[in-house]
Amino acid sequence: MAINLRTTQAETREQRLGTITHWEGNAGQLARDSAHTHGCGRGCDNGGRRLCEQSTPFAQASMCAEHIAVTNATIIQEALVIQHSPIGCAVSQSSTCRYYRDLAARRGWKLEDPQSICTNLGEQDMVFGGIAKLEQTIREAWERHHPKVIFVATSCATGIIGDDVDSAARQLEDEIGIPVVPLHCEGFKSRHWSSGWDVIEHGILRRLVRPDPPRKQDDLINVIHLGGPDVFTPLLAPLGLRVNLVMGGNTLDRLAELSEAAATVTMCFVLSYLATGLEQEYGVPEIKAPLPYGLADTDEWLREIARVTHREHLVEDVIARERARIAPELARLRQALAGKRGFVAAGAAFAHGLLADLRELGVEVDGAYSFHHDPSTDSGDPRQDTLSHLVETWGDIPNYTVSPDQHFQAHAALLRAKPDFVICRHSGSMAVLTARMGIPVLPIFYSNDGLGYEGLLTIGRSILRILPRKRFCEDVAAHSRFPYQPWWLEQTNPFALGADPA
Amino acid sequence: MSPLESKAAADGEFCSPSGPIEQVRYACSLGALASVIAIPGAIPITHCGPGCATKQFHALSGLNAYQGGEFHVPSTNIGNREVIFGGTDRLDELIEATLKVMEAGLFVVQSGCIPGLVGDDVASVVNKYRRRGVPIVFAETSGYRGNNFTGHETIIRAIIDQYVGAYDGPREAGLVNVWSLLPYHNPFWRGDLGEIRRILEGIGLRVNILFGPSSEGVAEWQAIPRAQFNLVLSPWLGLATAQHLQQTYGQPFLHVPAIPIGAKLTGAFLRQVTAFAGLDPQRAEAFIAREEKEYYLYLRDFSAFYAGCTSQYRLPSQLVVVSESAYNLAVTRFMVDQLGLVPGRQVITENPPQAFRDAIRAQYRRVADGVSAEVDFAEDGHLIRRLIGETDFTGQLPIVFGSTWEGEVARQLEAPLVEIGYPSTDEVVLSRSYVGYRGALALIERTYTTVVRASTMG
Repeated sequence: MAINLRTTQAETREQRLGTITHWEGNAGQLARDSAHTHGCGRGCDNGGRRLCEQSTPFAQASMCAEHIAVTNATIIQEALVIQHSPIGCAVSQSSTCRYYRDLAARRGWKLEDPQSICTNLGEQDMVFGGIAKLEQTIREAWERHHPKVIFVATSCATGIIGDDVDSAARQLEDEIGIPVVPLHCEGFKSRHWSSGWDVIEHGILRRLVRPDPPRKQDDLINVIHLGGPDVFTPLLAPLGLRVNLVMGGNTLDRLAELSEAAATVTMCFVLSYLATGLEQEYGVPEIKAPLPYGLADTDEWLREIARVTHREHLVEDVIARERARIAPELARLRQALAGKRGFVAAGAAFAHGLLADLRELGVEVDGAYSFHHDPSTDSGDPRQDTLSHLVETWGDIPNYTVSPDQHFQAHAALLRAKPDFVICRHSGSMAVLTARMGIPVLPIFYSNDGLGYEGLLTIGRSILRILPRKRFCEDVAAHSRFPYQPWWLEQTNPFALGADPA
Repeated sequence: MSPLESKAAADGEFCSPSGPIEQVRYACSLGALASVIAIPGAIPITHCGPGCATKQFHALSGLNAYQGGEFHVPSTNIGNREVIFGGTDRLDELIEATLKVMEAGLFVVQSGCIPGLVGDDVASVVNKYRRRGVPIVFAETSGYRGNNFTGHETIIRAIIDQYVGAYDGPREAGLVNVWSLLPYHNPFWRGDLGEIRRILEGIGLRVNILFGPSSEGVAEWQAIPRAQFNLVLSPWLGLATAQHLQQTYGQPFLHVPAIPIGAKLTGAFLRQVTAFAGLDPQRAEAFIAREEKEYYLYLRDFSAFYAGCTSQYRLPSQLVVVSESAYNLAVTRFMVDQLGLVPGRQVITENPPQAFRDAIRAQYRRVADGVSAEVDFAEDGHLIRRLIGETDFTGQLPIVFGSTWEGEVARQLEAPLVEIGYPSTDEVVLSRSYVGYRGALALIERTYTTVVRASTMG
């Protein structure tokens, strides 16, 4: 389905991709059912059945799209974000600021606080509308900080009272003369927080990408990642490519250049909206290859980039050199990790990547927990079907749970898996839960850690560093308990509570 | 129909929002779920959007001194369907399921913005369970009404009215309920409540401290009506609760606006409590003497640093204090009265209800013998920076007691920054306390370690 950039609102990923948040079974079945329901791109009958989302009457606090959209807008340099909301939505400012400063230190940017302002709506505004406050806030933001772009993020409250944010943004844009970009990210609108990526990428595509690029830069490759240090330049510079690292903090110039690049790669297909949009709108080809997790897939990923950017003559050398470089350390890590059982908890394509890393490192892994599942990607291309690719390359994952960071379900899944360690993304409930169950955990803050050849070393070494913390974890586990009923504390089926297919 | 238990806090008056805010310094009303989590044995159930509860708690407990805390909060995670058709059925289903899966002595259902706006009748859903004898209450904590301070009093009121309930039995002499710091929002609340409990027990009281590791949890809440009196140890937070308890159970209350830090102020505080509660003065004096002996041995030796070996360091002389009112007043008084710094710029950041502001200003006008200070009320970081920028520091060496947000301004002033309030992202705090006798010593340690490091590490 084409991405619709005519409206200010991004369609949710439930609508576009059929995204689900609850499922339990083996990964092979999920891959077949997904392809059967949402198209495998090959026109094949693969023996799947209709993908049925499961449900559970119990639920725990999760995350919302607004959080993702606002965080990733705030860390764009020279931009200012207005959260048009009651104060609570903006309470995450402190963590966003910490995140930005950490990124700035790692990427060599100026160390400063990012700019964000909350309209701070109260009960009166709920009754009479908040637009006047929004207009006042936009003017104030301009006078205080003179940003180059202002994002206006909506909230559940302003969505329900029906504030016309689009009109206000248009009007103030004329008045102050810089782009004022609405981000429609009401938390209730999508069942999964990752829709927030689509919202900010939608805003970037519509307003920040240079619409009529004056030139093409044949040696520029867009790399769309979740955020973190640049691990890509060491891999791509030998191919004569310059990396335009986007999302996870950018300058506006970098975002404008997106349309000039020779190609786009996405490091997690959860974020593929931008890459697909760039191909659709500006003809920047999207690299359609499996993600570079594990040796063989990293080889293929580099070859595909080289093919699309006409650098085939350089790539085999790079592959051989990199493989040779990491071989001794990889051997040491495989030996040290032999016989260890791992467990992965992360979001969809990112989880699939980490699972591939673990198997490449020789870790046994038969359980995984994905925070959501996208049965398709925006391109619809089967080469981006990371789950099928994982199963085909590395074999099935017998226990594969889809659940949006639900503590009680993760408890059951971990009790069943009994791993020696867990790797997880979103250090919220999962990491704490794991440690409290006596299991050492590697929470991944910067998602590039597992990518490419070096990623195998990074992940392997990180695991070896956390394993000795088992002493701490076991001690705390022995002296604390979770406030679940005894029957649930023994439960190993995450969907044991009324698991009726919806 | 909107729920009834709405105007609970601060004499029924929320202080309405003041305008645009950057550098947010408090959570919304729903953020009071942190107060529920602070009660051992209690679990909040939130009826709100999918990210609301997580955002509030992670902001208050996560990066804010990395406090952690039991966060696996049942939540309806409201979606499109509930917004359009109403969310009471989903809440009903969630409560039923929560009772099957989770174990708690008390459940507190809290509503966020969405149920308030779409008009969910949450009270009747919760009342159905109350009639079944389930220990569950409802607190309306819509994010657009008040903040986590007023929300704190809303959940307290809900628990008292709907769970603790009527009581006409005898009162126990020497039992006190303490209403003081806001859990999680103040990074040092756990250690502080422990120290407050310790010193009150030292003079012969039995204490319902009500929140945190030093509390007995839900059982203490059941004992609230039996207490001889309520102690409000904060400039304004808890006053509405104490007034309500006076009306409900006829309990008198003692209001001490400044949490005591250091021997001078703590001794005076304990004598005031002893007189109010009619305790044995000899026992109190014996305790005070014991504490002072130890405290002043440490201060005697600290004087070697403070008066002696410091000529190479830039010992600060003037205060900038930016925090919520309880710590702001307590730290200002201690630094002025005990260590002889002069007031500079004091900014209170939690938007206290207007009705309390004159009384708070009066506290600063007699911050120590012969010293009067002014105080500003501001929540917006931009405005706060401007206020600090307008302050006259001529000839003085300023020190900033504030939050992470004061990092930039402290660098500009070339002043050391001691984080004392939300958000404190450069502190890892477990049981550290800054109040009473022992806390004062820790505050001195942290303050002058920061000062020395500013000199030695650039």
